[in-house]
Amino acid sequence: MEQINEELESTPRAQPIAVRPMNMAATLAICSGGWLVPGLSHILIGRWIRGLIFAACVLLMFAAGIGMHGKLYDLDFQEPLHIFAFIANVGAGLPYLVAERLDMGIGMMTAPSYDYGTTYLWVCGLLNYLIVLDAFDIAQGRRP
Amino acid sequence: MTLSHFQALLIFALVVSAVFALITKNEPREQLRYGIFVFLSFLAVALAVGWIMYPLPL
Repeated sequence: MEQINEELESTPRAQPIAVRPMNMAATLAICSGGWLVPGLSHILIGRWIRGLIFAACVLLMFAAGIGMHGKLYDLDFQEPLHIFAFIANVGAGLPYLVAERLDMGIGMMTAPSYDYGTTYLWVCGLLNYLIVLDAFDIAQGRRP
Repeated sequence: MTLSHFQALLIFALVVSAVFALITKNEPREQLRYGIFVFLSFLAVALAVGWIMYPLPL
């Protein structure tokens, strides 16, 4: 019995491969790419599966937010509180810029799902910031 | 797109819990357990708060 336990304990466990810390310029370039295209930073680091899941999550949430007639906020200094909403929205990167360009984020307040859609759009941008920070930590060797 | 409040809540909880689990945990088993915990917590808290607010005259 002890022998079996020893064998089990000595069995090597699958450890995530640690990434060698990159220089700061490369890290910032990767993070910028990850901000523009959600999930891209993890894909560039070599975390394919994680990157694809992140991309799917953020893009699904963004598309659902637009589909639910959510509002995308511009940078508007006359409404100071809208700046926070803008910061949250712009975290989605290219999808935000494209949707703004195509006037897709006007927001229909009469739609029952307007509040949900707007919240989806905020949260997907904020999640993308967290994802980029995670990629930063991995690229700097702080996380396996 | 027409989603009920509960469907919107489910999608929201699923996406956010998946991202939180992948960001905070390293091992796949830990990620799965934490993701399920966060997902169920979202649902439980939302339902609890919904029932608490139900008798309020809003």
